[in-house]
Amino acid sequence: MALRIQIVTPEGTLLDKEADTVVLPTANGDTGILEGHIPLITQLKRGQLVLETNGKEEQIAVDDGFAEVIGNHIAVLTEDAIDVDDIDLSAVEEAKKRAQAAYEEAKDNEIDPDELLKLDQKLQFLTMQELVKGGGEKH
Amino acid sequence: MSKIAHIKRRIKSVKNTRQITRAMQLVAASKMKRAQDRALAGRDYALLLARMLHAAVKRTDEITHPFMEDREVKKRGILLVSTDKGLCGALNSNLFRMLTDIEDDVDYYSIGRKGKQYLTRSGKNLVADFEVSDQVRFDEIRPILEELLNSYNEGKIDTVEIAFPRFINTMIQNPMIIKILPLVNLDEALALLKLKGEENTLDEEIDEREIKFEPDVATIIEELPKLYVKQEIYQFILSAKASEHSARMVAMKSATDNANNLVDDLTLKFNKARQAAITQEILEIAAATASTQQ
Repeated sequence: MALRIQIVTPEGTLLDKEADTVVLPTANGDTGILEGHIPLITQLKRGQLVLETNGKEEQIAVDDGFAEVIGNHIAVLTEDAIDVDDIDLSAVEEAKKRAQAAYEEAKDNEIDPDELLKLDQKLQFLTMQELVKGGGEKH
Repeated sequence: MSKIAHIKRRIKSVKNTRQITRAMQLVAASKMKRAQDRALAGRDYALLLARMLHAAVKRTDEITHPFMEDREVKKRGILLVSTDKGLCGALNSNLFRMLTDIEDDVDYYSIGRKGKQYLTRSGKNLVADFEVSDQVRFDEIRPILEELLNSYNEGKIDTVEIAFPRFINTMIQNPMIIKILPLVNLDEALALLKLKGEENTLDEEIDEREIKFEPDVATIIEELPKLYVKQEIYQFILSAKASEHSARMVAMKSATDNANNLVDDLTLKFNKARQAAITQEILEIAAATASTQQ
């Protein structure tokens, strides 16, 4: 248990636990973090974060954000995150349909670009959840 | 008899009032719970964001961001966060009292009807006013943020400050003015976020080595301050909402308690008066019997 990882979203701290290795989906590609990593502040791209504890893997889907590695402490700052095991594909499908509809409607009505961007991001995050979940099940 | 009827009427009216204040207390209590939860949930995020920015700024010299440049203050910009409705104790008046002493040249922006009324009545320079619902959705805040940040970037205002009742706990809300822009003193900003009475779950690791930035410092420094400022203001508005509902809950609770006391007092008075009337009647009957027997 060398590393402590916290995932913090605007809705609160989603996860706070210890792990042996952590793989972060950074802007430069996946970066593995082990004990004694140099201090790092990095931008995260929406993707899959992997924790390994005692040989057991745990996957978490995270949205765009930032991560900070200081000492053996990893703090992940993201808009949204969900444990891959908790992803319910049918719920995601529903949410995606809703988001898609909202996005289309918003695009037609020319609402402000920020709102549109937010909807688009949400949609992409949902799509990614689907991909991560689907990929996980094939193994 | 008329005295008894009078007391009876008063008891009834106090009971009616009590019913209303109790209902308001219950409504405020449930809203308070939700608002407090949200204010507390977002705190870790804001704090971590501030810490990251702080770490980034402290360990690099090559930072230039418009938000972080100190400039001469000709005009301050203050966002006043008040409530739409009254009956929340001294919450608003404490907040407004803080502003009466300000003599500088200030552009005011307001959230909440009470603040707007105060600013127009006291002849202060109100530039724009906004309304935010109890849910405080982020898209309600966005136009406010945009207005403030644009004015700041265009140089219409030289600071962005926020005046709001800060939520400490259900009993205590501190009115305060916090300067958000320019971001010159991050140490101070960080200390403010970790205000006493708020336990913080994110402990800080000490590591003095040089931080590596990915993809590079410029990208991080470009993105972080903007996110930080937005999150900061959002967090403070959530805090103000939590304060509002807490203050209203407490005010309505004490109103209900007062009504209870009043009803008790009046009931005692009513019983005494009734007893007096009965005694009076018996005396009269006894006197009448006595005089007929003689």
